[in-house]
Amino acid sequence: MQQIQVPENNAAMALICLLIPLLPFIGFVINGLGNGKLPKSVVTLVGCGSVLVSFLLSIYLFISFPAGSVGYTTEIFNWIKVGSLSIPFAFQIDQLSLIMLLLVTGVGFIIHVYSAGYMSHDPGFGKFFAFLNLFIFSMLLLVMGANYAMMFIGWEGVGLCSYLLIGFWNKVTPYNNAAKKAFIMNRIGDLGFLLAIFLIFMTYGSVTYSEVFTQAPTLPVSSEMITAITLLLFVGAMGKSAQLPLYTWLPDAMAGPTPVSALIHAATMVTAGIYMVLRSNVLYTMAPITLEFVAIIGLATAVFAASIGLFQNDIKKVLAYSTVSQLGYMFLALGVMAYSTSFFHVLTHAFFKALLFLGAGSVIHAMSGEQDMRNMGGLRKALPVTFITMLIGTLAISGIPPFAGFFSKDEILAHVFEHNKIMWAFGLLASFMTSFYMFRLMFLTFFGGFRGTEEQRHHLHESPKSMTLPLIILAILSTIGGFMGLPPVFSENHSLGNFLAPLFTASQQLNPEAFGHHMDHATEYMLMGISVVVALIAAIIAYVIYVSKKSVPAAEGTETGLHKLIYNKYYIDELYDSIIVKPVMGLSTGLYRFVEKGIIDPVVHGFGRITMGGGRGLRVLQSGAIGSYLLTMVAGIILILVLNYIMR
Amino acid sequence: MTSIILLSVFGIINLFLGFLKSNKILLPAVIIFLAIVFGVNFLDWNNPQSHFNNMLTIDNFAVAFSAVMVLSLALILPFSRSYINSGNPHLAEFYSILMFSLVGAIMMVSYENIIMLFLGIEILSIAMYVMAGSHKKELRSNEAALKYLLMGSFATGILLFGFALIYGASGSFNIAEIASFSSNTTATDLLPMMEIGVLLVLVGICFKIGAAPFHFWTPDVYEGTPTLFTTYMSTVVKTAGIAAFYKLVWAVFPGLNEFWYPTLVAITVLTLVIGNIGAAIQTSFKRMMAYSSIAHAGYLLIALTSFNDYSENAVLFYALSYTVATVAAFGVLKLVSDQREGETYEMFNGLGRTNPLLAFAMTVAMCSLASIPLTGGFFAKFFIFGSAIEAGAVWLVVVAILMSAVSIYYYFRVVMAMYMKEPVGEKVAVDGFAAFMLIFLSIFTFIMGIFPGWFNNWL
Repeated sequence: MQQIQVPENNAAMALICLLIPLLPFIGFVINGLGNGKLPKSVVTLVGCGSVLVSFLLSIYLFISFPAGSVGYTTEIFNWIKVGSLSIPFAFQIDQLSLIMLLLVTGVGFIIHVYSAGYMSHDPGFGKFFAFLNLFIFSMLLLVMGANYAMMFIGWEGVGLCSYLLIGFWNKVTPYNNAAKKAFIMNRIGDLGFLLAIFLIFMTYGSVTYSEVFTQAPTLPVSSEMITAITLLLFVGAMGKSAQLPLYTWLPDAMAGPTPVSALIHAATMVTAGIYMVLRSNVLYTMAPITLEFVAIIGLATAVFAASIGLFQNDIKKVLAYSTVSQLGYMFLALGVMAYSTSFFHVLTHAFFKALLFLGAGSVIHAMSGEQDMRNMGGLRKALPVTFITMLIGTLAISGIPPFAGFFSKDEILAHVFEHNKIMWAFGLLASFMTSFYMFRLMFLTFFGGFRGTEEQRHHLHESPKSMTLPLIILAILSTIGGFMGLPPVFSENHSLGNFLAPLFTASQQLNPEAFGHHMDHATEYMLMGISVVVALIAAIIAYVIYVSKKSVPAAEGTETGLHKLIYNKYYIDELYDSIIVKPVMGLSTGLYRFVEKGIIDPVVHGFGRITMGGGRGLRVLQSGAIGSYLLTMVAGIILILVLNYIMR
Repeated sequence: MTSIILLSVFGIINLFLGFLKSNKILLPAVIIFLAIVFGVNFLDWNNPQSHFNNMLTIDNFAVAFSAVMVLSLALILPFSRSYINSGNPHLAEFYSILMFSLVGAIMMVSYENIIMLFLGIEILSIAMYVMAGSHKKELRSNEAALKYLLMGSFATGILLFGFALIYGASGSFNIAEIASFSSNTTATDLLPMMEIGVLLVLVGICFKIGAAPFHFWTPDVYEGTPTLFTTYMSTVVKTAGIAAFYKLVWAVFPGLNEFWYPTLVAITVLTLVIGNIGAAIQTSFKRMMAYSSIAHAGYLLIALTSFNDYSENAVLFYALSYTVATVAAFGVLKLVSDQREGETYEMFNGLGRTNPLLAFAMTVAMCSLASIPLTGGFFAKFFIFGSAIEAGAVWLVVVAILMSAVSIYYYFRVVMAMYMKEPVGEKVAVDGFAAFMLIFLSIFTFIMGIFPGWFNNWL
């Protein structure tokens, strides 16, 4: 992958590239320092304005990007240079980072505006915007960095912001526990990422993308080193993008304010893992074993999380498991080398999942904080805008044409069908369950009679403009977003795929097989038909159960059998608790009692005593008398002469 | 070159300014003078020239280190406000002496002839003897001056003897000729004379930079000297000494490096151990800082023992980051000790509550000295250790890392005192200029820690 410098306007381009992440950072500094002092209007202006300007600058970069080019890097300064290690602070602008830029700043801006309405009654208003801006800054570093070290900084930065925002209401202990859980789970993944960076540096002597990827094909395909690097990178992705077995933090992360769930835990941060694999696609193409592993993990996550979503009663929990499941879809696509398809789904998913979360937020806002769908019902009259927009989101995620999700999901399933028919069947199963739980959510929330308290009924209201407007924009995007990647049967021109193609040229040279299209149109129509029918059947079943029969999920603790198992999320949390957390706690208690108290403490204190004793010895020499100082100095000189001449 | 002349002229002008009734103009005048010198100094960047019949060479090495030292003085002086307020009649002399001493310091980094090195050292040292005793009515100050003078003269004698032996063996004071002599030693039977000369010079310079076992003067002199001048000693004097030493061992004695290397390594290890362990048992903050300066001389010596592409830059970076942190630490010490009696750790108790700014600046300085990441001190040690590992001296780095672990103990004692103890006194009054400088120094420390690339790879 050859990198070129932009020939003209280099300084201006570098400035624009620098400003894009810098503006949200300045917003963070202003709102952070002015927390509690600045009026809300200023906070909103700084918070939203900085992201808006970044968005506009990103659009400018996108428009002025030379078509068909392989991208360019702008070096801001030489960050670290020690020995053979050189890490420039440089931005890489190419198709992948440009679209991610638009996504992060665009959706980020919409959600900032939404937050201004959603958080308007919260005392931590300034703090919230400061964290949100810091998140945008870190996410931009992650996607713009031109080397793995910068990606890692952004990676850690978004992890930190995620932690801060999940535990935003830090007076509530379970929320804090959720934040800690997210942080620890992510750390496990980060360790894998870090090890991968070390291995990359060891193998290629650089962590800069362009240098690594041009050298990558020097290793043989499927060599142990490349497999190890890609697997370790994937461990990082598993943590950040909530894949089996590191997914349990994401549903708990719903403790954060709803805009956070929409921005961080649905649209942007959790897709960082997919971004990373896409960025390293050359390495992955060279490691078919890892790819197969990625596909299996992705598929398993998609099915597993979707099944948990079937019977959740918390509106945000349903969406959380849905996110985990959709992320699994994206990894499944990566695993079958449908790179641009996976990225297509990242984009459409960002639109409709952000929409669904913001819609859920609007519902929760109207219900005065109620999240249990069993206490909702019949809200479509009170919240017409929220209802319609969420319905669009539901149609999109379920894969009903012509909404966005249909195209991306169908493309994934088509690629999987080519790869392996059994995997395709499981993918279809996940699609069925997705459609079911999403329509269940819609029916329980918006249809039937109201099941909440009188007080809640009284308080029901449509959300303010600043909240419904983002919903409408996202609903439009969820409707038309799919047209950027029309399937071959409708159009020869897959605009997104063509745009992204230069990113995958190296991969294509390595494995031309995987990039060819072999499917005839009849098969393609058949696959499309099947997935639409499956989604519709699921919707109809949900309608029969929750609207015609008006059944409402049972109260806590009365579930039975399989339902109980699923409702309790297969007891995975409890399983982790008993096979990992408890033994680790036991081990550390034991280590503390015996090793720490019995061995380490005495040794450490011993060293301390030796140091202090040595110091007191020195103090004797430091008598304050010049005569003795001179004597010691002369003794030192004599010693040096003796050692140099007599002893040698 | 111009900077030496300008500093001398400005020093004299400054003496005349002292005749004015008000001494308010002195500080701004000196700062402006130093700013001019700092700027003019860079005219010689990438333009190496030799002056006075090859007595001095102004190359990038000299320009860079001169810049660090001029900057140091400019950073230190804003903390001299208490002299101005108390109407000290000798203020103009103090400033002028410091400027003249800077001339000596610049000579020490740009010498082409070891006589010029000797002159530079003496110009700097004699100025320091005077400044150490500048509080004439204070017994501690008198004691410090006398001790420094006596022991300094002793070391000067040894240094000069060393130079004489080198001249005797090589027949020249010019460093290029000495270097060519020392790298072609098979043809001469004067080698032992040369070697003893080298060793004596080594000892003399080690005394000047406060390396063990010739460090005994340091704690006593630092403690007795008025804080403002202690700051100058532990920054400018140390930087000049190390830079001169670096040039000496690698430009003057390169052919003999197998001979002096073991001695220098032994001195380095001893300096690291004595500096750090000595600092750990102190109860006086100022005395701790004295030992800390010994310890930092030890880290700088590591770079000296590992001559390669990185060590020169590592020394420069280290000198800058150490200077910035040390000035901040002594600045806070001076502000606090001017108003609360004593120089112990207890004096800082509860400063975090009464003076958050002072406590913050001190914390940043301590973190930098203890080389905590995000501060300049982290990368300073990182570069030094990096160059040592490149040179293959892994065990030396291990010793140094163990010793920097010890340093966290004594640096964080003051941080703990500031934030975890009950306040012992009223809020300390801080003038605007000093507060500005402390903020500047803190930001500078962070910038060095976050963007080390801006300050590295100059040479």
